[in-house]
Amino acid sequence: MSRLLQALVLARTFLRISALNELQYRVNFFMELVQSLLALGTGLAVLALVFSHTRELAGWSQAELLAVMGVHILVGGVVRTAIQPNMLRLIEDVRDGKLDYLLTKPRDGQLLVSVRQLNVWQSVDCLVGAIVLGIAVVRLQRQLGVGQALGFAAALPLGVLVLYCFWLCLATGAFWVVRLEFIVELFDGIYQAGRWPVGVYPLGLRLVFTFLVPLGIAVTVPAEAIVGLAGGRTLLLAAGFAAVLVAITRWVWRRGLRRYSGASA
Amino acid sequence: MRDPDIFVQDLRKTFVVPTREAGLRAALRSLVRREHRDVKAVDGISFAIEPGEVVGFLGPNGAGKTTTLKMLSGLLYPTSGEVSVLGHVPWRRRQEFLQAITLVMGNRNQLNWDIPAVDSFEMNRAIYGLPRRQFRETVDELVEVLEIGDVVRKPVRTLSLGERMKVELAGALLHRPRALFLDEPTIGLDVAMQRRIRSFIAAYNRRNGATILLTSHYMADVQALCRRVIVIHHGGILFDGDLRALSDRFTSHKTISVALADPSVALDGYGEVTSREGDRVTLRVRKEDTSTVAAKLLNEQPVSDVTIEDQPIEDIIEQVFAVRQAGP
Amino acid sequence: MLARPRARLRAVRERELERLRRLAGFYVAVARTAVQEQFQYRVANYAYMLGMITEPIVYLVVWSTVARSQGGSVGGYTPAQLAAYYIVWTLVRNVNIVFTPFGWEWRIREGTLSGMLLRPVHPIHYDLAYFAGWKLPVVVMWLPLAVVLSFAFHPAIAVTPAKAAAFFLAIWGAYLIRSMFMWVLGMITFWTTRVSAIYMTYFTLELLLSGRIVPLGLMPPWARTLASFLPYKWTFGFPIETLAADLGGAELLTGLGAQALWTAAGVALVAVVWRFGVRRYAAVGN
Repeated sequence: MSRLLQALVLARTFLRISALNELQYRVNFFMELVQSLLALGTGLAVLALVFSHTRELAGWSQAELLAVMGVHILVGGVVRTAIQPNMLRLIEDVRDGKLDYLLTKPRDGQLLVSVRQLNVWQSVDCLVGAIVLGIAVVRLQRQLGVGQALGFAAALPLGVLVLYCFWLCLATGAFWVVRLEFIVELFDGIYQAGRWPVGVYPLGLRLVFTFLVPLGIAVTVPAEAIVGLAGGRTLLLAAGFAAVLVAITRWVWRRGLRRYSGASA
Repeated sequence: MRDPDIFVQDLRKTFVVPTREAGLRAALRSLVRREHRDVKAVDGISFAIEPGEVVGFLGPNGAGKTTTLKMLSGLLYPTSGEVSVLGHVPWRRRQEFLQAITLVMGNRNQLNWDIPAVDSFEMNRAIYGLPRRQFRETVDELVEVLEIGDVVRKPVRTLSLGERMKVELAGALLHRPRALFLDEPTIGLDVAMQRRIRSFIAAYNRRNGATILLTSHYMADVQALCRRVIVIHHGGILFDGDLRALSDRFTSHKTISVALADPSVALDGYGEVTSREGDRVTLRVRKEDTSTVAAKLLNEQPVSDVTIEDQPIEDIIEQVFAVRQAGP
Repeated sequence: MLARPRARLRAVRERELERLRRLAGFYVAVARTAVQEQFQYRVANYAYMLGMITEPIVYLVVWSTVARSQGGSVGGYTPAQLAAYYIVWTLVRNVNIVFTPFGWEWRIREGTLSGMLLRPVHPIHYDLAYFAGWKLPVVVMWLPLAVVLSFAFHPAIAVTPAKAAAFFLAIWGAYLIRSMFMWVLGMITFWTTRVSAIYMTYFTLELLLSGRIVPLGLMPPWARTLASFLPYKWTFGFPIETLAADLGGAELLTGLGAQALWTAAGVALVAVVWRFGVRRYAAVGN
């Protein structure tokens, strides 16, 4: 238990330092805000266009889809703020040979590579997403009970955790394939699919977006939780999947390190 | 008698490197069948380093210095052999071990590029779990000795190469390690800065009694810092002993290279002629005779260009190797 | 003495032909370099392509769902027609990739632009040739993806020689129009580096009004009218529809004509802005 506490303290120190340093670049805030609003505008336009032709999409109402959009933007913000910068830095460090420094430190390598950086200004997306989500909930015209709120509070961190694991597994590929920077564009492209609930997709894609690229757990489940479509069973399944993914990620990381250190397999 | 801090016995590291020739056909073939080649980076070396020693690893590029250093710091698994550093097996990467060592690589920074050095120091404090007061003292001490007081608050990317190296060293020593592994610490720096870094390292060793292992292909690094030098070539140790002995035997000479209008002139009276190429003649003279011989040459011969150099390290190593071949 | 002026004319024409021949040689050389280089980066190219086709697949799924819920078609498009639209979309999207305006800041800062200015060829030819050459490995890599998508989504598409010819012309028209306009955007960097907001606004408009999100036929009438005054639909929607839809001969010809006009407009803009931009660049120095 004390190790977990130590890890949290370490993470807090790192994030505080990198956040404080990012904050001085205020112009980035306006850039991010403009970008965020433009993306939001586009998303809203598409949603409006779809609903100019129909009343519901695969059983989802417009307000419910707006909630999905809100969660999508919010989770995307968290990924771009806290996860992607670290993963990109890991890939670059492997390429430049700087990972050696991390490995001579007396702390767990996975922890160190995961908490070094924070792109604070990307968190504008978190704010925008939260606002959109709030508006969607209001428009739902359903009572938001404590159960839904709790479910959402549990599902959201689970979703972020699952994306973190996914990203780390991808980034560990750098130990095998040295030039991996394109992975960011690949992820950004595929992440678009999370804007809609995975139930909309045909079976094959639904499986892909649930198990291969875990957008279902990252976006759809929290959205379902807050609009009242997800029960305890869904959350339990999601938690189970997350636990398995955490274990797999740890294993992949250690294999990657062994390869990096030239351990005979 | 304390145990040696670093003990290495018959250490080997062989890399398996995929080979592929140029051309389209070879590229297609490599898709089907991968061919490999064994590269013996370190081929059975043994040595022991006592606490507080400053030892230099000397050798040309590709000799195996960095590979050895990586195995000593736990970054690389040896193919075979025994390694013990501060009583630990490095590649197990025990926390106690990692708390007591530090690695500095000359051409790669560990400090965060975009933030001031002091902030990176804070991060290191969190990583090593250093008590606040001890940390403050260490930082103040290092800042004073390295004279980086006015640069520690600026983002590292804005610093010059020399300043960057100094803050790197400070960051690497915050946790007062017992063993320092320095891989080409002065590479790329100008002569004045190289000298400052060297004197810092020497002073650090005197004050803290840390064991220092330094790799370099600059003879000057090793001469300034190390009493003992290990010469590595082709993954094996060619010489392990007192630096002065190596120095006296193999760098007692300098080379004088002159461009003459008439290169056929006999210059044997000045020194040993080692080469004649076009209008250039190269002589080998004893170090203490260098200035007198050079002056004589310039006065008595129609010299259009003169160059005076140390014996290149490759020559020194060749001579060491040659002596070893000859045997006792 | 009629021979002298005719001889002079012939000399001028020969010089022009020689210049064109050299330019053509330049294009071939640069295009070949692009093919070699990008074939080396095939993994990165594939990854980028996979990320890129997610966008149209998502739209396809959404709009097909809408169509099915509305009794089989939405705005006149059945799921099979939508599939055809979006699969052709992936090819057109690949072909209209050109040098990004965001790259201009890097180009100026690194001094690459200065190097290009020293050559006796206008720098735009380098970009045109390189990205054109890049299309070859890209299309080769795209083909298997298209097969997979076709198996998955059953597009309804009828290819006639006329449509194929029109499509071929249309995608190169799209390429040229987009190249010109991206160049103009990029040249804004000569005057200021705070261009992100401008670019993002431009790209958002392009996203909404080009037929990239939906076939233009599904957009409200006011949007369609707006789109007809902008170059975007000629870089996206029109080329897609030459192959995926069933446009009549007249429509095809007027469309290609519109592309030609927009290309000319783009070229003129580039020429004008370049003249002022280079003057400013030389004055400010690098």
